[in-house]
Amino acid sequence: MTRYRKQDPELTRRKFINAAMGGAAAVGTLSLVSALGSAKPVFRLTPALAPPMAGDVLVHADPSRYGEPVKVSDLGLQLVRAWPQGKDKNGDPVIRDQDPTSVLAIFKYPAGQVQEPTDLNATIDGQIVAYGDRCMHAGCNVGNNDQQPGLMNCPCHSGQYDPKLGGKVIGGPPPAPLPQLPIKMDGDKIVATGFFLSRPYGYTKEEDWKAYTEQVKEVLG
Amino acid sequence: MNQWLDERLHISRLNDKFLRKAFPVHHSFFLGEITLFSLIVLIITGILLALSYEPSNSLVTNSFDPGTSAKPNLIPAAYHSALKINAMPFGDMLRRLHHWMANIMIAAAVIHMMRIYFTGAFKKPREINWWIGMLLLIFAGLTAVTGYILPYDNYAYQTVGVVYAITKSVPWVGDWAAQAAFAGQFPGAGIIPRIYGYHIMLLPGILLALTGAHMLIMIKQKHTQPQYAKRLAYKKIVGVPLITQQTPIMLLLALLFTGIVMLFAAFIPVHPVEVFGPPSSTPIPNIKPDWYLLWVFGALAIIPGFDLELLGGSISAEFVGAMVFPGIVIGAMFAVPMLDRSKENLYYAENPTNHPVRLAAGTAFMGFMLALSLAGYKPDLIEAGVLTTANANAILWILVFVVPALTYFATIGIVRLIRALREADERDAAVHSGQLGHSAADD
Ligand code: FES
Repeated sequence: MTRYRKQDPELTRRKFINAAMGGAAAVGTLSLVSALGSAKPVFRLTPALAPPMAGDVLVHADPSRYGEPVKVSDLGLQLVRAWPQGKDKNGDPVIRDQDPTSVLAIFKYPAGQVQEPTDLNATIDGQIVAYGDRCMHAGCNVGNNDQQPGLMNCPCHSGQYDPKLGGKVIGGPPPAPLPQLPIKMDGDKIVATGFFLSRPYGYTKEEDWKAYTEQVKEVLG
Repeated sequence: MNQWLDERLHISRLNDKFLRKAFPVHHSFFLGEITLFSLIVLIITGILLALSYEPSNSLVTNSFDPGTSAKPNLIPAAYHSALKINAMPFGDMLRRLHHWMANIMIAAAVIHMMRIYFTGAFKKPREINWWIGMLLLIFAGLTAVTGYILPYDNYAYQTVGVVYAITKSVPWVGDWAAQAAFAGQFPGAGIIPRIYGYHIMLLPGILLALTGAHMLIMIKQKHTQPQYAKRLAYKKIVGVPLITQQTPIMLLLALLFTGIVMLFAAFIPVHPVEVFGPPSSTPIPNIKPDWYLLWVFGALAIIPGFDLELLGGSISAEFVGAMVFPGIVIGAMFAVPMLDRSKENLYYAENPTNHPVRLAAGTAFMGFMLALSLAGYKPDLIEAGVLTTANANAILWILVFVVPALTYFATIGIVRLIRALREADERDAAVHSGQLGHSAADD
């Protein structure tokens, strides 16, 4: 058999071209992958990027009152949007507004309305509650429910939450309740006493959120 | 001079091969051209806009409203430059022209694809061009979405947040992919330069390359011939040559079309960046994507939330609604040429009514997309009192299935009727004109 195999120079040339093309494709893919590797920048945790944590003062997020501490008299059944304000290395105040996951919604209800599964110890007198304001579905900011004051509506795919019941989902596609932020009064300021009690938007599992808070504590102490 | 050029550039060969390309005479064949003109105008207006746009999301003082020195009014540079473009003479109009053209390009492309689908022009040998056309549609959509983000107003900010979330929802690799695509965790410091690169270099480059391939293949394979060509000269190419007859028609159409869109741009405002304001944590009530993405948005709105653990990755409703489901729809559109098993090359555009199942499937598909787009209006429907939170999902789900089914059977019914009438006509004609009558069955 082998004796009759034709040694066709055309064929070798074709083989060569095929091999060269294959080689080029392989090198190309490899360099593309390395280029892609550089596309993702490193994440550096700065105070402004940190999540709300113990000691943070809640300040207004609304541009007209940006940075003013939220007062009890500002609150009611319409949500007040706030950012946590912490301190940087030098002890200067820094508003943590670089990660949209940190934005908060604060409500004040008449006594007795806020109920389980809300963590009542994390509220102020069982009346003032604070939640992370990014929808658990796709991360839109959740607004007021205009028809039923005191409830929340997500404008994106009509997710609905009840802040009186621990941020429970009462309609629409969101897969999990809004994360409650533990707060207390400190003079006339509202202050966070810890991290969100459940995972906020952007963390698919409770463990991921726990691991992240550990990391934050380590870096920012 | 002609000879001088010809000796160097072989114009006569070019002439025979390309410039004499025959164009079929039928208005529906202009849809592709309109898509092409829109692309050209988009590139020109895009270049003009790029001259004044500042691709950066670092904060600068708003020169229109600087605030006080103690409390300066800081806005992202990109948003600031959009405000500045609006303040230029005709700047706002330039932005609107770019925006309108993008919408019209996608609309024209969609209608162009409908023409191809309903007349069977996707059949052998033109399958490759159908696929390239699909890629063009997908990349045009991506280009449009990235364009939306560039003004970096609150609308853009909320949009990019959702796009980031969708990318991130891909199991296993989503987190990495989203950070790589959007320059870090949302909203990364480099997000606008990154998107700018996509929108003015990467995506237009892909679009131009695909358009080139699309047209070269079209010239090589020739258009499908309209039915009248069969009677005129069987198996011959009938039409007007590019040079000189088609060119003036094209130019006229291009100018007329651009003129009309300019009128749009002059009088109908789109995307008022001042109204949306700079990025903020205040949501925009009932924010919606453009009409061509409304069906995905609708699907997201009615798929109930869930989360499924699978081999360490999590499959969420978002992933299913925004990736898997559109993937299936687009996959089905890709598969269209494979549904046809004919070995013969197709010469003549087919009469849709001679292929009732294909026609009905096409209209049912459109009904499906419309029903899903309607679902995108769920919050508005609830607010208007048409639906309630409790029944919205159920009713919209039913519509998503019932509307296509009804469209399907209605189309089949109408086609039957048309064919019955036509056959009656033919019998009539045969009786009255005896041997003079010719078959019109394929017209
Ligand atoms: S992002 Fe809130 S419902 Fe989809």
